Amino acid sequence: MSASTHSPVLKHHFGDLNQQHASERLGIWMFLATEVLFFAGLFGAYACYRLWYAAEFEFASSFMNVKFASINTFFLVTSSLTMTLAIRCAKLGDKSGIYRNLLLTFALGSAFMVLKGFEYAEDFHEGILPGASSFGVTTEQHNIKHEAEERGLDTGKVRLFLCFYYIMTGIHGVHIIIGLGCILWLVQMNYANALPPENYSTVEVVSLYWHLVDAIWLFLMPMLYLAGAHIPRLH
Amino acid sequence: MTTATTVTLKIAPPPPEPAPATPNYLNVDYSLWSWLTTVDHKRIGILYLVSITAFFLAGGIAAGIVRLNLLSPDGAIINEDQYNRAFTAHGVLMLFFFLIPAVPGVLGNFLIPMMIGAKDLAFPKLNLASWYVFMVGAGFGVFAILNGGIDTGWTLYPPYSSRSSTSSVVPGVFGVFISGFSSIMTGLNIMVTVHKMRAPGMTWGRLPLFVWSLYATSLIQLLGTPVIAITTLLLMVERIAGIGIFDPMIGGDPVLFQHLFWFYSHPAVYIMILPGMGVVSEVLTCFSRKNIFGYQAVAWSSMGIAVVGFMLWAHHMFVAGISYYSALLFSFLSMLVAVPSAIKVFNWTGTLYKGSITFQAPMLFALGFVVLFVIGGLTGLFLATLGTDIHLHDTYFVVAHFHFVMVGGMVLGYMAGLHFWWPKMTGRMYSDWWSRVAACIIIVGFFLTFVPQFILGYHGMPRRYPNYPQEFHVYNVMSTAGASVLGFGYLIPVFYFTLSLFYGQKATGNPWSATGLEWQSPSPPPLFNFDEAHMPVVVAGPYEYSLGIDQMGRGLPEGPGLGTSNDPSSKHGETAAPGPMNKETHVVG
Amino acid sequence: MNSLPPLIPVAASTMAYQFEYLFWYITIVTTVGGLAVYAGLLYFCVACRRGNTTGSTPRILGSHRLELAWTIIPTIIFFSFFFWGAFVYTKAVHPPEDAMEIFVIGKQWMWKAQYPNGQRVIIGGNPANMTENERKSIGKLVLPNNRPVRITMISEDVIHDFGVPAFRMKMDVLPGRYTTAWYYPTRLGEYHIFCDQYCGTWHSLMVGKIAVVGENEFDEWLNGNAIQQGTENPVDGSVAHKGRELFLKLQCIKCHSADAKAAAPVLESLFGTRVPLKGGGGEFADAEYIKQSILKPRLKVVQGWEPIMPSYEGQVTPEDLDALVAYIRSLKRGTTPNTTEQMKPPVGAPTERSPGGKN
Repeated sequence: MSASTHSPVLKHHFGDLNQQHASERLGIWMFLATEVLFFAGLFGAYACYRLWYAAEFEFASSFMNVKFASINTFFLVTSSLTMTLAIRCAKLGDKSGIYRNLLLTFALGSAFMVLKGFEYAEDFHEGILPGASSFGVTTEQHNIKHEAEERGLDTGKVRLFLCFYYIMTGIHGVHIIIGLGCILWLVQMNYANALPPENYSTVEVVSLYWHLVDAIWLFLMPMLYLAGAHIPRLH
Repeated sequence: MTTATTVTLKIAPPPPEPAPATPNYLNVDYSLWSWLTTVDHKRIGILYLVSITAFFLAGGIAAGIVRLNLLSPDGAIINEDQYNRAFTAHGVLMLFFFLIPAVPGVLGNFLIPMMIGAKDLAFPKLNLASWYVFMVGAGFGVFAILNGGIDTGWTLYPPYSSRSSTSSVVPGVFGVFISGFSSIMTGLNIMVTVHKMRAPGMTWGRLPLFVWSLYATSLIQLLGTPVIAITTLLLMVERIAGIGIFDPMIGGDPVLFQHLFWFYSHPAVYIMILPGMGVVSEVLTCFSRKNIFGYQAVAWSSMGIAVVGFMLWAHHMFVAGISYYSALLFSFLSMLVAVPSAIKVFNWTGTLYKGSITFQAPMLFALGFVVLFVIGGLTGLFLATLGTDIHLHDTYFVVAHFHFVMVGGMVLGYMAGLHFWWPKMTGRMYSDWWSRVAACIIIVGFFLTFVPQFILGYHGMPRRYPNYPQEFHVYNVMSTAGASVLGFGYLIPVFYFTLSLFYGQKATGNPWSATGLEWQSPSPPPLFNFDEAHMPVVVAGPYEYSLGIDQMGRGLPEGPGLGTSNDPSSKHGETAAPGPMNKETHVVG
Repeated sequence: MNSLPPLIPVAASTMAYQFEYLFWYITIVTTVGGLAVYAGLLYFCVACRRGNTTGSTPRILGSHRLELAWTIIPTIIFFSFFFWGAFVYTKAVHPPEDAMEIFVIGKQWMWKAQYPNGQRVIIGGNPANMTENERKSIGKLVLPNNRPVRITMISEDVIHDFGVPAFRMKMDVLPGRYTTAWYYPTRLGEYHIFCDQYCGTWHSLMVGKIAVVGENEFDEWLNGNAIQQGTENPVDGSVAHKGRELFLKLQCIKCHSADAKAAAPVLESLFGTRVPLKGGGGEFADAEYIKQSILKPRLKVVQGWEPIMPSYEGQVTPEDLDALVAYIRSLKRGTTPNTTEQMKPPVGAPTERSPGGKN
């Protein structure tokens, strides 16, 4: 790392590159703290209801598509790997390597969103929706509403779980999309030769954000998908 | 018992008056475009100043409507629906679009880099973005108010706000949501700046207390605001989609909203008050020419308030249906947070001991802060105590309490800061006499407005009531009368500040003879705060008034008030001779 | 404008007194502390003003001892507030076992109460949001003096709060969950009920009254005989109300109406008076006389009327008789209508399925 005071990537208000990079790193960690608290509110609310309405929540969770979620987990974790490799390429000044890894990350993140789209479509088709008029409204006879009633569970609380499911995965999806945008921005910067080894920290900043979104998914997925994995279908 | 050690310092003589900056940050470019695309923290501070003043005015008009209507037990000028929208507008405008951004956005932005000897904040573009985000959020809020208003109260409790209200809830709540991001950005910026961009020699132990308090504020902004973000988001989802996690029909709990809401909104009140406390520390030391009494205690108490303040939220919910044990816990913790505030008040009083005090407007406002904050803080104890809170909750006692701390405390602190740093920001002095008059009128008007409300609350008059029983009439009339005095008092600075911009005496670099780094550059400051070839190096702590040196070790110029011939304090006694002096350090008690 | 209210608002329950002692303790302690600070400030501002000094100040950095002192002493004082407050709070949220339970429902924008015997009354709210009948039936929450009472509350819509300043007690009223409050009234009189959680347009009109009455009067009222609300009808659910239903069901109204051509004397204000009997003498119209008149009507006929009343022996149980007595006892002058259709419907929640009295 050079501590050049006349580097083209040094911003004017900083004394040297060290200070700039240290500030950027501290800044992104602080931002990640805010993201953690943002999701913490949701997780806390979920925890309350999960304790109060264990039966309904586990039942509702058993209707979630664990296969899709597992594939998505694989996508995200791999994308974190490729993102970290992009940092390494930036440190080494490997411009084509930066492109390769950033675009791979972008592809994996997009694959996550595409699969999520399929998952939502499937949920809509099966009536796994929280609204009073859409819950359990399907052409099939044995759907989530029917089975809930058969088991003697409160359909309202099942719908409450579904509220959480859509809100949590939806907000997480928004964060993925923002991350994808940031990756494209990095690609553009790379094209403009703005990611020399002295400025690798810009890649690191986006990468930290991406890792957090991945980490949130690693908590989200078991909470929503695995809580009811032990519950078989009645039909 | 005093022990004395003699301090002998090798220090430079008082610096000559710095040459006016050409260009300074104001006249480098007069175009509107340059203002709207600036990344200069000083200009962004001015942008915030203009916008929050506008929102303060709007919120004040809403308050005027509320108080006028309360002149009659049946509502004097508007109907119930309009009244509900008026008090909601007052709360939302004042809290989210004035109090929270005021000192961090205006004074923090302007002064933090200068106080720590930096050229700008850590992320200048993020700083500009924070102002735009704030304006977008405020735009939605204003749109909601003009679109018929919101009638849920600023606290937005469901199920009323999610299902029952027919007012413009979503745009208003969206405005709050968006402007929260501005708060996070400002907090993040300030924290990183203070960590990474201090001048050489500016250790944590030499930071001005204003910086300490803004650091503590930024910590709260950073960690607390995301929770209100998710809460408002969930509320909007519930309102738009018709179903949500607070809906009792599907097993949801409206009290959960209250927990999430107050988890932010209680620390938010510390966002509002801590910066004001920082201003008071700066002003009291300068105008009594003394070191702050107990620097470490005051600095740590700011951090203590910030941290402990996160653990108290449910004291707003003692009668909301929380469990007996929760109530005990939160009441206990609420007592803890009162202690650092008390420590500050005692230390400020101790700062005045054996000082040499003058009473220009900044000092009057700062003293007013201490006086009114004492009442506000002490009445908070009634509400933290479970047995009394049951009766006083949701009455005018609470209204009086929070106005004492927020208006008597924070707004006065903001005014003190504005009056103190106005010469630095604009390069002009304002009328000394009129500013003192305004300070007195505001303090008196404030008392008249809110003391009757304590009595009303004690007698049980509920909040948010446009109609009330006849027996509360007298106190309501008294309160409204006081409000008119207060409103008049607020108008006076508008005049003399505006006039000062055109006709005010040109200010020197350090008109108050203060010790901070921000006073070492000319007024108004140059683009990058300091002469780039001679960035400051710090050798002394803040507030070395008794030694007569600033933080760079140079002597202080003539004491405050001597520049204006109509200052009575210059006629009697002497001021300290300019320049450094050898002094004993006294340990008291 | 009225004269100023007294310094201490009326204290009408045990909790109110507990509140007052605690409140004034805190007030005195904080006032003393606050005034001490003000005295210090004032003294320094005067004694150390620029005109009184040389302008040179001593370099004082602080004092560990003072810091400790003014950290520890306020902490102890604040904890004293906490402990006393917790003590009062513990009493306030733990009702005694023998407290009578009253259910209260809050809805935008009125309060409805139901007593243990099923008696219901609307105890306040915005008249504009009520039906005609509800409006006429606005009553008071009648409570007995010197007896503990527990209120169990729930909301039909948004969050409200049932607050009684005279009792120094309030509690939020939530949808989907019950909350409770309890009182031990110690003073006769009428006191405000306020809704203390903002609930919409008419939040400020969602107010009512508590009437604390003597224990005997309370028992009377519970039977439906002491009317404490807007209409003259006995409260729905009370014994007298049950008697009224029987009065209609058994078609007593056919003869005992207020019509000028009625075949039987009107029964308003009859109870407790002396009635002259056919064939001389008089009879005190008490419960026994009324019951006898229902079972064996031809024994003691009132002077001026024919002995045409049929016997209801075998058609009424002893409990029915008590109810009929309670109803007749509650009948006030001018409240007997002409026909069953004109009989004013019951107060509180409706119980009759049709106005004709067919049950």
